[in-house]
Amino acid sequence: MTENAPNTELDVQSAQDDFNRSAGLKLLWYALLAVIGLALLMVLLSWGSKKLGATSDSSPGIDATNNTISLILSQEPPQLDSTLATDMVSNMVLGHVMEGLLRYDENNALVPGIAERWDIRENGATFWIRDSARWSNGDPVTAADFVFAWRKSVDPANASEYAFILFPIKNAEAINTGKLPKEELGVRATDERTLEVTFERPIAFFDKLVAFSTFSPVQEAFYNQANGRYGADAETILYNGPFSISRWVHGAHLRLEKNPYYWDADRIKLDVIDFPYFTTDTNAALNLFKDGSIAYTGLNAENLQDALNRRWHLDRLQDGSVFFMEFNHREDRITRHRKLRKAMQLVFDPKELVYKVIKLPGFLPGESIFPVWLRGVDGYLRAEYPAPVWEVDIPRAQALLAEFKQEMGIDKIPPLMLLTGDNPASAKQSEYFQALYKQTLDLDIRIDKQIFKQRLAKMTSGEFDLVMAGWGPDFDDPLTFGDLFSSWNLNNRGRYANPEVDRWVRVAQESLDAKTRMDAFGKIQDLLFEDVALLPQYERGVVFVTDPRLHGMVRRAVGPDPDFTNAYIVEP
Amino acid sequence: MSESTFSADDFKPLPKGAAAEVITRPSMSYWQDAWRRLKENRRAIISLWIIIGLLAFTLIGPYLWTVDHAKQNVDKISERPFTSTEAVLTTPLQPWDIGNRGTPSDPLALAEPATTQTARLVWQAMPGASAYRIYRNIFPYEPGAGLGLPLGETLLPKDTYFEDRLDLQAKTYYYSVVGLDSQLRETAQVVTLEVPVTRVITLTEATERGLLSQASDGKLGEKIHLGTHPFGTDYLGRDLLARLMEGARVSLFIGIVAPFLFVLVGVAYGSIAGFLGGASDQVLMRFADFVVALPFLLFMILFKIAFGIGPGESGVMPMLLALVLLSWPSTARLVRGQILQIREEGYINAAQLLGANTSYLVLRHMIPNTLGVILVTLTFAVPSAIFTEAFLSFIGMGVAPPTPSWGSMCNEGIKTMLTSPHELIFPALFISVTVLAFNLLGDGLRDALDSRMRSRE
Repeated sequence: MTENAPNTELDVQSAQDDFNRSAGLKLLWYALLAVIGLALLMVLLSWGSKKLGATSDSSPGIDATNNTISLILSQEPPQLDSTLATDMVSNMVLGHVMEGLLRYDENNALVPGIAERWDIRENGATFWIRDSARWSNGDPVTAADFVFAWRKSVDPANASEYAFILFPIKNAEAINTGKLPKEELGVRATDERTLEVTFERPIAFFDKLVAFSTFSPVQEAFYNQANGRYGADAETILYNGPFSISRWVHGAHLRLEKNPYYWDADRIKLDVIDFPYFTTDTNAALNLFKDGSIAYTGLNAENLQDALNRRWHLDRLQDGSVFFMEFNHREDRITRHRKLRKAMQLVFDPKELVYKVIKLPGFLPGESIFPVWLRGVDGYLRAEYPAPVWEVDIPRAQALLAEFKQEMGIDKIPPLMLLTGDNPASAKQSEYFQALYKQTLDLDIRIDKQIFKQRLAKMTSGEFDLVMAGWGPDFDDPLTFGDLFSSWNLNNRGRYANPEVDRWVRVAQESLDAKTRMDAFGKIQDLLFEDVALLPQYERGVVFVTDPRLHGMVRRAVGPDPDFTNAYIVEP
Repeated sequence: MSESTFSADDFKPLPKGAAAEVITRPSMSYWQDAWRRLKENRRAIISLWIIIGLLAFTLIGPYLWTVDHAKQNVDKISERPFTSTEAVLTTPLQPWDIGNRGTPSDPLALAEPATTQTARLVWQAMPGASAYRIYRNIFPYEPGAGLGLPLGETLLPKDTYFEDRLDLQAKTYYYSVVGLDSQLRETAQVVTLEVPVTRVITLTEATERGLLSQASDGKLGEKIHLGTHPFGTDYLGRDLLARLMEGARVSLFIGIVAPFLFVLVGVAYGSIAGFLGGASDQVLMRFADFVVALPFLLFMILFKIAFGIGPGESGVMPMLLALVLLSWPSTARLVRGQILQIREEGYINAAQLLGANTSYLVLRHMIPNTLGVILVTLTFAVPSAIFTEAFLSFIGMGVAPPTPSWGSMCNEGIKTMLTSPHELIFPALFISVTVLAFNLLGDGLRDALDSRMRSRE
């Protein structure tokens, strides 16, 4: 400001400054009041929520006085109607609240469940149901309950995605395609306690099959009374397993309590298994475990280091599933050409993917569609029929690709669409492949991240060139993997069709001789490799940590996993 | 006032050359004055330099730091900034001839020195053990504490060997082998071994990465330097500095082009509305209000679909379009207000009386007088556009991999925040600094261009 400014301007100026100062002070007060008000509101709300919600969320991970454990679920079970369930979470919960004719015990051996004994013949089977088997309303479990559930599963009106698993039973496939009424299914109750099954064709592993949750019984009267809501709520399911659902707040809370009507209730030591948290956030899960709010959590590559620094006792397991890159073999896709696929195979080293990118113990580099744990004739299938291996050979791959381009008369392969999941791990692996193929073969890959449902829909309609796919076993026999690439399998998303493979799948399905069947699987393994029908990536593993007071938890590749039915608490 | 008499001299014109008045200070145009005041604002000038530096970083940087931003190197995943590593040249890994491994004299021993390629363990069979479980730890063995990472199990009692290839780093590990009983439960039998691991690189790998000009240049057993990454590497071993430079392109492209375009649209729209006034002004401004109410994210998705941009393709163009089409009303409102005000000014009336036509009025008087406001809007629109881009890329709506952008890099970095924080910190820092610099510059410009401030000094 100039010194000889007229006085009037000075006055205006100072008035302005005064105004600014007082206005600023007022604003400051308002801001302070607002902050204090907000803080008060937060305190009030947290107090209120504690007051209202104190009944559920405050239980510790291990509560020895109430014989209760708390755990986390990655999501709420999507489907608890056993005739419709397809996913791992539903399967795991069903494994705790339902029991089939047979079940897996703590050593993963097949033992009698609802059936006290059984007899499997070449053309059929008989199961004798134990007298003591009860539903959670006190009614006896009868053979008719199994007949009802199995008919329901293959009924086309029910549209179960797992109907195919019953196809070894007589007429199942014809019923499912609508050619026969569901009453023609080859299963009947000769009396209340005897179940007679007739086979469509000889089957070598029917005992393993009936341990699967689709084969669980459903009481017809209760099902009809539920009015189409069977499996939707805690009250609309009838339980025959070790536990029953006592509370199910959708999207928030699931609580299992010991089922007093369970025939082998003495075996069950826990009173309550509580699932107060549903989240896929592994960091949140780890924090809950650190706080002692849950008794068990899985670990991923990111938070593994934290767990190691805390010097916890870690455990690992292969969860049985196999992951692979599937090619689209449909007519209009460039990936149907073997030379391109072969070139893509020759530059990919699953060991690098597993040891350097995934970096988790428990994962095994993929070599075959058949995982290493499958049993063969005497020992392990993969020991008896070693998977063909390939060496990374970039010059040869480049030569093959150049040859392919020349044959096709193109200069550049159009961008390939890689369909993948929307979780961080799949994103990372997809980017790894993107860079790998760009650097070695100058192939452009576009990544299409989709949520699980959308990915499945796109896989089914064939909107992809490459897809990161995985398959978990449904029953303990190599066929659960072996028929994946048969031309008629709906899970063969790339529509791979090879009459030779189909022939060997038929052999494996129909033969009863272990050697013949394993030979067939060996042939399938070789054929799939030779034709590069897929690129095996890895066999998935899990690393996890459990509260040291929790004992008896069972992890397994086939069947409900993890299994807490035999778990118990040991106070140090 | 007293009466005076006029002489003829009073009506003579002044002689040519005589100064009518003396100008004591140099004459300054509006812009010169604004620039003078901006220069006095130190924050604004520092911000200006930062912005110039950023432009140089992204435009000139890639010519100085010629590392490919998409090149992955799985041996250098999540490396810290300025890590200097050396590796011993070696031959490619040969399969282990397990049959010839012999029996070690120690309870647990290495079959050969451990490298980052492989650590091969052999041990003496334990009495009663039907299988073994192998652990790898970063801490020395301590009874009661966890044994570390469970690497795997051998399934048969005779299998007393294990090959570890899982993400071996050049540090010291403590391996433990635990005997398992027939139920595969752990027994008390544990043997531990301290294993130092040396970093190795094969001749072919070294040549591929340009560390050796020819494979014959290196001798086996010789140490070579692996190259440094000033900002470290990301989760696939890609150079973070190169990715930041590349990412800056997307961020600054959106950040500068989008505001420029929508301010242009806004100025045209606002000045038309303001100049026409009356009913047409009402209609035009109600349409602008309508555009304000449209949700940005939804339109961005709609444009993406309308453009036929499939998955895996860059969403930058729809983002630009959505930004331009939905962000102009605020500028339009501001400019309209200014024009309405200026329209009533005396000099406009004077100019009109002197016969100025419309285009002269708009171009000579109105636009130059709103230019200050426009410029300030522009500088404030830039950081908000950069932020929008970062946010959209963060949630996966923007660029498609492998193209990086600061937002998508943050999204990737957040997953490894705890183990390698530099992957999040650097892109986040770049976003923050850029946004802050543009905001401070905008602040300075507003002060400098404000005509009311002009008379104060």
